[in-house]
Amino acid sequence: MTALDLPRRWRLPAWGTCLVIAIAAELIYFTLTTRQFAGHGTGMLDLTEQFAPTGVLALGLAMVILTGNIDLSCGASASLAAVVAGTVLAKGGGPVLAIVAAIAVSTLFGLFNGLIVALIGIDSLLVTLATQFILTSIATSVAGASPPFGFPSGFTLIGQGSVDDVPIALLVLLVIGLLVIVAVGYTGLGRSLTLIGYSPRAALYSGIAIRGSLTAVFTLCGAMSGVAGVLLAAYYNSAQPQIGTDLLLPAITAVILGGMDIFGGRGRIAEVVLAVFLLGFLSQGMLIEGDSSLSITMITGLVLIGALVIKFAFERNFRQRMSARLHRFRTLSRDAHG
Amino acid sequence: MTTARNLRARSSAWRELRMPSRWALLLRRREILVTAVIIIVVAASTASHPYFWSSANVAFIFADSVVITFLALGESFVMIGRGIDLSVGAVMGLSAIVVGFRIQNHGMTLLPAVLLGAGLGVALGLGNALLVGVVRLPPIIATLGTLSVYSGLEFVVTNGNQVDTIPSSITNLGSHTVLPGIPVILVLTLPFVLVSAWVLRYTAFGRSIYAVGDDAEAAYRAGIGVQRVVFLTYVISGLFAGLGGVAFLIYTSGASSTTGINDNLTAIAAAIIGGTALTGGVGGAFGALVGSVFLTVTLTAMSFAHVSDVWQPAGVGVLVLLAVVYDSRSRAGGTRRSPRRRPRGAR
Repeated sequence: MTALDLPRRWRLPAWGTCLVIAIAAELIYFTLTTRQFAGHGTGMLDLTEQFAPTGVLALGLAMVILTGNIDLSCGASASLAAVVAGTVLAKGGGPVLAIVAAIAVSTLFGLFNGLIVALIGIDSLLVTLATQFILTSIATSVAGASPPFGFPSGFTLIGQGSVDDVPIALLVLLVIGLLVIVAVGYTGLGRSLTLIGYSPRAALYSGIAIRGSLTAVFTLCGAMSGVAGVLLAAYYNSAQPQIGTDLLLPAITAVILGGMDIFGGRGRIAEVVLAVFLLGFLSQGMLIEGDSSLSITMITGLVLIGALVIKFAFERNFRQRMSARLHRFRTLSRDAHG
Repeated sequence: MTTARNLRARSSAWRELRMPSRWALLLRRREILVTAVIIIVVAASTASHPYFWSSANVAFIFADSVVITFLALGESFVMIGRGIDLSVGAVMGLSAIVVGFRIQNHGMTLLPAVLLGAGLGVALGLGNALLVGVVRLPPIIATLGTLSVYSGLEFVVTNGNQVDTIPSSITNLGSHTVLPGIPVILVLTLPFVLVSAWVLRYTAFGRSIYAVGDDAEAAYRAGIGVQRVVFLTYVISGLFAGLGGVAFLIYTSGASSTTGINDNLTAIAAAIIGGTALTGGVGGAFGALVGSVFLTVTLTAMSFAHVSDVWQPAGVGVLVLLAVVYDSRSRAGGTRRSPRRRPRGAR
């Protein structure tokens, strides 16, 4: 490992391109092999509403991972949000109240995570491991023996409806994606998140409000888990307490496949969005072809490992080559001047 | 752990120079502290429900904690070396399924079953070891990937069937007791714990795991083959997860495609409660045993107190939170070094 860290724009600029090519290849393959996949062009769009919740979850998680932390509880938080929304609807509350209540609850738990991580300074992996267990229990308890189902159409529209063939869930995903891209790339908060992930010490010495930023990012992640939970409940028209927990692994996979460095400080949100589409179309295409969801899990795992092995090997070679070149340059210039 | 670095990191190093009392020293050992808490929980539960201290219930608690003990043992090796293995539950499930089908359909006996489970665990652990130790992927990503692959394999191997008829000659090990309250399976597990404790504490290899976990750069400069040590910890983790699969068969006399799905995090929780830190360099084999027994005791006590089963995960979560908050107060308080950041020498 060299001490040299390359500027951002030199770092594997090809990754986003690789993802786009992979998505295109995958879409062409499924369109050719499976007749139902494209379905007059709109079928492909309809598929997106099935993985939009995973995408929203992945975007929230991506911000947390950018700071070098992780949130294992976001899946359970989405479950809780779905269950809360379902319960409010079942008790006769309106869709707006249900959505607000669901997002508020998961935002609160995100804040709780953030405060523990930021103020007590415990590793977020441990904190969110614990809160994940706790949230699972709360969600199961709120859902009760017969989880609510059969919601009014005003609510299910969010998960199933569409505007001019474009599913509303996809619009939600894209809007949130744009917001996160702007927030991370073009605001002070985004800059401090990246710096905290890149070097906590540097962030501390440059006077960044580390605790505040960490609390904010976990709260945001909680809020986005809430949105994911609402989308889930609306899409499935029911609120099972396991509904979001199963999305944790796909979401982490999408973030990592999107080139986000698990140790923080490096990564592009736009590439995470691409990875969401890559993984989403892959699993939906395989589902349509008749594979079971567990063998899709296996393929997803293989894709993750394979992509990362290639990426790591490539980046390491690239860095070594660049550092060797820089070293030669330094030696030459020293000889010339000395 | 009074390494120079920890001393430096403490807010007041002077406090360390004062000799703590003997009791404080004893309680600073996590295994002993947790054992003390176990005794308190057992005493309190027995006071309100006398059946808690019956030999049947004690035997149940021990037998119930054996599987997690195996997983937490393997996880301890990895965590002491500053890694993490998210795939132990899937390895355990896969081993339980494959061995279970051999027993069910081909009449395999116990000893070959244990060997097959161990071999399978080593083979699956090798996958993690290659990815982390040779390809040098970050452990959390590599084992997340293998978790997906192995749990998918579980489904492929079962092919819709499940293991449900294990001969009583094997399941008796889980239900019969040696002495009242001591199930056979616990007696079979203890040697593994003892050998692990010996390896970790008294062999050069064991000490080098601590060295790598505490400071990989220093270990590298001291001439330890860091990569080899990391590689071997993942193989050991696989080995114990494979054995855990056989223990699961003995205890539950069945296995399905979802076996072990939820046990990854529980195993990590048990190891953490037993005093093994994610930050590496701290922990031990007895911690894994005590941690998992503590989990089972607390959950059993909760159900004795008529707390709904729904809240059992929350119980685990609260215990983990308490353990890590206690850790952060007792060890190097506010050192802000990110524990999951890979040390430079590890690459």
